[in-house]
Amino acid sequence: MEHTRVAVDVGGTFTDICIMDETSGAIRIEKIASTPDDPMRAIMDGIEIGKIDLAGVSMFSHGTTVATNALITRNLPRCAMICTEGFRDVVEIRRANKEDLWDTYKDVAKPYIPRRDRLTVRERVDAEGKIIEPLDEAGARRVGEILKKRDVKSVAICFMNSYVNPENERRMRDILKEIMPDIAISISAEIMPEIFEHERFSTTMANAVVSPVVVDYVSRLSERLKEEGYERDLLLLHTGGGVMTPNAVRDFAARLAGSGIAAGAIASRFIGNLCGYPNTIGFDMGGTSTDVSVSYQGESRITKDWYIEYGFPIRFPSIEVLTIGAGGGSLAWRDEGGSLRNGPQSAGAYPGPACYRNGNEIATNTDANLVLGRLGTTLAGGKLTLDPALSETAVRSTVAEPFGMELHEAAEAIIRVANANMANAVRLLSISRGYDPRDFALCAFGGAGALHGAAVAKELSIPTVIVPLNPGVTSALGCLLVDIQHDFSDSFMKPVASTRPEELETAFRRIEREAMAQLKHEGVADSDMILSRTVEMMYKGQWRSLQVPAPAEITDIGELVKAFHAHHQREYNYAREDAEVSLFRVAVKAVGVVPKAELQKHPVERHRPEPTGQRQVWFGNKGHEAAIYQRDDLKAGAMIDGPAIVEQFDATTVIPPGMSAEVDGYFNIRINTQG
Amino acid sequence: MDKKTQDTDRLDPVTFEVLKNSFITSVDQMAEQMLRTCYSFVIYNRDFSNALHDAEGNSVAQGNQDIAVHVGTLHFTCKDVIRVFSGEMLPGDVYAINDPYAGGTHFSDVRLVRPIFDDDDLIGFSQSNGHWSDLGGSVPGSFDVSARDMFREAVRITPVRLFRAGEFCHDVANMIAQNTRDPASIIGDIHSQAGATAVAEREIQRLVRKYGKDQVLQGMREVQDYVETAVRNRIAALPDGEWETVDYIDRDPAKGEGMIPIRIRMTIKGDRITYDFEGSHPTISSIYNSAPGATFSAVVAGMKTFFPDLPLNSGFYRMIDIKAPENSVVSAAWPVAVTGFLMPFEKIMNAIFEMWSQIMPDKAIACAFNLEYLLAGGRDLRSPEKPIFMFYEWLPGGWGGRNGKDGSDVTTACFGTGLMSQPNEGNERVNPTRTVEFQILRDSAGPGKWRGGAGVQKTSILLDSEDAVMSYICDRERAVVWGIEGGLPSMPHGLSIRRSGEKEAKWLGSVFSDYPVHTGDEFARPTAGGGGYGDPLERDPQAVCDDVASDYVSLERAAKDYGVVLKELDADLCEFEVDLSATEKLRGEIRAKRKQWARMPAEDVAILYRKGEIDSLDAVRRYATILDWETGELLEKTTAQFRESFERRTVSHWT
Repeated sequence: MEHTRVAVDVGGTFTDICIMDETSGAIRIEKIASTPDDPMRAIMDGIEIGKIDLAGVSMFSHGTTVATNALITRNLPRCAMICTEGFRDVVEIRRANKEDLWDTYKDVAKPYIPRRDRLTVRERVDAEGKIIEPLDEAGARRVGEILKKRDVKSVAICFMNSYVNPENERRMRDILKEIMPDIAISISAEIMPEIFEHERFSTTMANAVVSPVVVDYVSRLSERLKEEGYERDLLLLHTGGGVMTPNAVRDFAARLAGSGIAAGAIASRFIGNLCGYPNTIGFDMGGTSTDVSVSYQGESRITKDWYIEYGFPIRFPSIEVLTIGAGGGSLAWRDEGGSLRNGPQSAGAYPGPACYRNGNEIATNTDANLVLGRLGTTLAGGKLTLDPALSETAVRSTVAEPFGMELHEAAEAIIRVANANMANAVRLLSISRGYDPRDFALCAFGGAGALHGAAVAKELSIPTVIVPLNPGVTSALGCLLVDIQHDFSDSFMKPVASTRPEELETAFRRIEREAMAQLKHEGVADSDMILSRTVEMMYKGQWRSLQVPAPAEITDIGELVKAFHAHHQREYNYAREDAEVSLFRVAVKAVGVVPKAELQKHPVERHRPEPTGQRQVWFGNKGHEAAIYQRDDLKAGAMIDGPAIVEQFDATTVIPPGMSAEVDGYFNIRINTQG
Repeated sequence: MDKKTQDTDRLDPVTFEVLKNSFITSVDQMAEQMLRTCYSFVIYNRDFSNALHDAEGNSVAQGNQDIAVHVGTLHFTCKDVIRVFSGEMLPGDVYAINDPYAGGTHFSDVRLVRPIFDDDDLIGFSQSNGHWSDLGGSVPGSFDVSARDMFREAVRITPVRLFRAGEFCHDVANMIAQNTRDPASIIGDIHSQAGATAVAEREIQRLVRKYGKDQVLQGMREVQDYVETAVRNRIAALPDGEWETVDYIDRDPAKGEGMIPIRIRMTIKGDRITYDFEGSHPTISSIYNSAPGATFSAVVAGMKTFFPDLPLNSGFYRMIDIKAPENSVVSAAWPVAVTGFLMPFEKIMNAIFEMWSQIMPDKAIACAFNLEYLLAGGRDLRSPEKPIFMFYEWLPGGWGGRNGKDGSDVTTACFGTGLMSQPNEGNERVNPTRTVEFQILRDSAGPGKWRGGAGVQKTSILLDSEDAVMSYICDRERAVVWGIEGGLPSMPHGLSIRRSGEKEAKWLGSVFSDYPVHTGDEFARPTAGGGGYGDPLERDPQAVCDDVASDYVSLERAAKDYGVVLKELDADLCEFEVDLSATEKLRGEIRAKRKQWARMPAEDVAILYRKGEIDSLDAVRRYATILDWETGELLEKTTAQFRESFERRTVSHWT
């Protein structure tokens, strides 16, 4: 009988394996060094070390960086693109803008498919979808023969206006398949059927180039897991916040780009919902960067404006995550204008903070935390000892002396700048989107999240901080708790005034059929399918649309318009109720529900636990005697008043003076920032 | 303005850093909101900027993604609003201004300014500046190149109130909107921009609640001092000296041939820097004039390129002095037409690139292509109501070659690097046009040891339409994009049109307006690449070979411009091979003759061109000769001016 669920989150440094017993809901964790040359090795090693019997596993889910890394390192097989004649440079011209406007020596990267591998054929569809020129079949065959000679592994077919009429793209695919039956082919009308050629071509290009890499990896892993006794489908976490099966990966490989980042956002959403906070801000602070995400009323915020490399959008709906260069290893520095700065440069894992003894002499956030006593002198259960004297020297020379400050004052200044930068990042995703942080809980995780979480929350007036049981492996938990999910959309460009409800209903039904076919293809039973609709709308004349949930049956467009005004009011602080509204796109999220297991819940008995020690910890330029607790000893119901420090294997939780904390039934620490 | 904050009441470093970042974040939040709610497609494609000002109107922070052309102008318009409304401002007020004679750029850039209050105290302003789709005047899009004065150009908005204590002033807003061709978008953009300024108001008021008014005001002063200190220190560290150069606008359409000089002498002394435009030409009879505000902006934008890491605010402006002769192309006064100010703007910016390239060789860069801007309008016959259409668009091109690096290919014009190019599928949906090609233009890059970036070509057909006219706003058809340190120019700008049913295309050049066009006409717009950096005969032959394999450079021009001889191995595989000995031989021949070519009697060059023995690239790159590209007639004065620059920037660096 299968009774175990396994989730694997492969990161750059560590591969985290989360093993859940379905009957009890208990979770155990394995952490192994990643094997970047072949990530599968660490996974299989972890399975062995964790003594996981794959025959007893009912669900194996996986967050992977394979696609992301392939795009970043450009370690890609030779791929080609076939375009309408005259348009082979769409992905090179892009929108012609730059990420850094002022530094003339910083360029945007070249496209994933170089110019010489972008070929053209004669064909043309007009803006209304009429075929003005049919595909030149002889030319198409000639292109196919050239690509065969070049031995390309994957091809993107990208024709103008194919989003209104895919016929020529499909014909091109059929011809190419005859010539090269074994290669992967991505056609833009099916990958991303939406207007604006660069965004559609770029998404299709990303899909084409990662496809061979990802499909190879997923097939090998599936095969191996099968050999070891796992009988179900391997489930892969995608950026939209759901999982997909290897069958779907073949078609939409680029949905796996950014998979790892999504995991943390999903986990914080899940933990928030579990604790009764449908509004949660995910705060995942690691060694070099912090990922911030927002979930509102139980749903993650989704964006279609994202990319792995600037200039090459991937338009699959993706969980919105804002990454800033602030982590434990971020360096403090005094710039030439005399300002105290923090990051984005980082000491990284090596040489790391000054206290790691690897030769770095510039103060990092970790050094400042150590000087302030917020961090203990040992980490990772004693595997790593830190040298506070080196941290002191670094803080003195980097900040205290240049600014004429006392040691602790300087260390606190470093932390306050870091916290303010992170608070600004949270503000960009919350206040500037019309969300009031006071209605949210902050879920703090990652190696350094719990060190800074309470102070950042206080800065933003967020009343509650949740520190999950295993802050260092929270992302793996995210992989464990998701459903199969796909997103389908279609253009629907029409003013509201001339749209009949039936037309909109028909448009939705068409993509819903497509969505259900996809879920069926992945073995989801009809009764486990949940479809939810959204429609994108705008004031007539605006250039960006806003997504509004739509009912399962459209009978009254007026209701949608009302919802649109309300969304516009919340998001932008004004609405124009007298202005005309237009429809832009219809979209369906198709979910194949995976039966959920429940996390283990312990009875809560309120009590005051005994600290295991005490040390001096600095807050507000004052030394405080803070109680030290060991996380593993804390039971549900444990109540702690700040100042206090909770230490555990992969994280340290700071409870500042004036705040209190309690351990809940899931062993989360909940800090009340109001006292 | 020059007075530095007293040291005694300085903020602690943490509060300072927090406030500095919060000011910038608040401005970036304005930008984000504007991008998501705007109506004018020009704004959507990022022709906008935002700023936070102190109570005197000085800039405290400007947006990270703001386009260059608005830099250094927002404080002027804020101060003009203060001049008019001082003493009668209320919380919830919003004012509008687009006045180039008061420091604005051109009429299309409309700025909305909101005073920010703490209770009754005015503590600052937020400003949102967007390029509206139309502001009236004689042609769609408000760019009439033949305008001599502002009365033909657009509606001039001196400071007016658009919201009074939160109440929308319909009367004024409608009056402005109804003087344009696109009133619905204009009203929409007013709401969008007013909403954006409210974002910064909310943020600043939050900071005041947290840190107190005094600290926030102190922060506004100190962030300006901070930038000032950093720039002054860097300038003081440079040796004192004088640099000068000249760049040109193609011509004054009302006069004969001969380019219009913009002369700049730059002096660094201690920690101050002076730009003197003495010797620049008087205003000309087209819209290619710049008012003093826009000229200041061009200087700041050019200089900022060499200080890319510093935040932008009024502190950056304090050590810069500008002297310009009155009523010159760089200091036009009311009511001279200035809508095309970006032509002098780009000349100033590139001239500053050239001078600073000598001071900071590690950031050196040759001339970038010139912005080109097409405007067409008429009736769209694709739908029975025959709606008015307005098609206007700019294209990217190449930037100059760099020290150790080729120029950036297909990038937006330097006057506004944040600006995005438009999707063809969008064009085709909204306008009766079809794009035939939109791709990198082979051989457009100026040759050099480090070549310029490549330009593009866009060719479109006008579909079913009537009463359609076209205007083209461009330059450097004659003052061709130049190279430095021995690098070669790229190519002349200019549009050609092939009438429906005709075989031959006709060259219309780089500036014309109200040109009638008809269904089926095909118009082709190339954009230049960037100028080359360094001697092209020193370019690594393998790099030339790669450029040919990628089809950036033709086999023919690889030989002519670079002296590199290639053999085609397999066209299907894009495989070529350098013939080293033939290359060495050819390079020797070119080296021996090229100075004579560049000094060959220009009339002889014109004859070769008219006979079809050489093309415009040969004329410019090899013979340094500027012709009327349609007739082949020699432009004598223009060529003399061009050759003078060519000798200085290119020939004198050849060994």
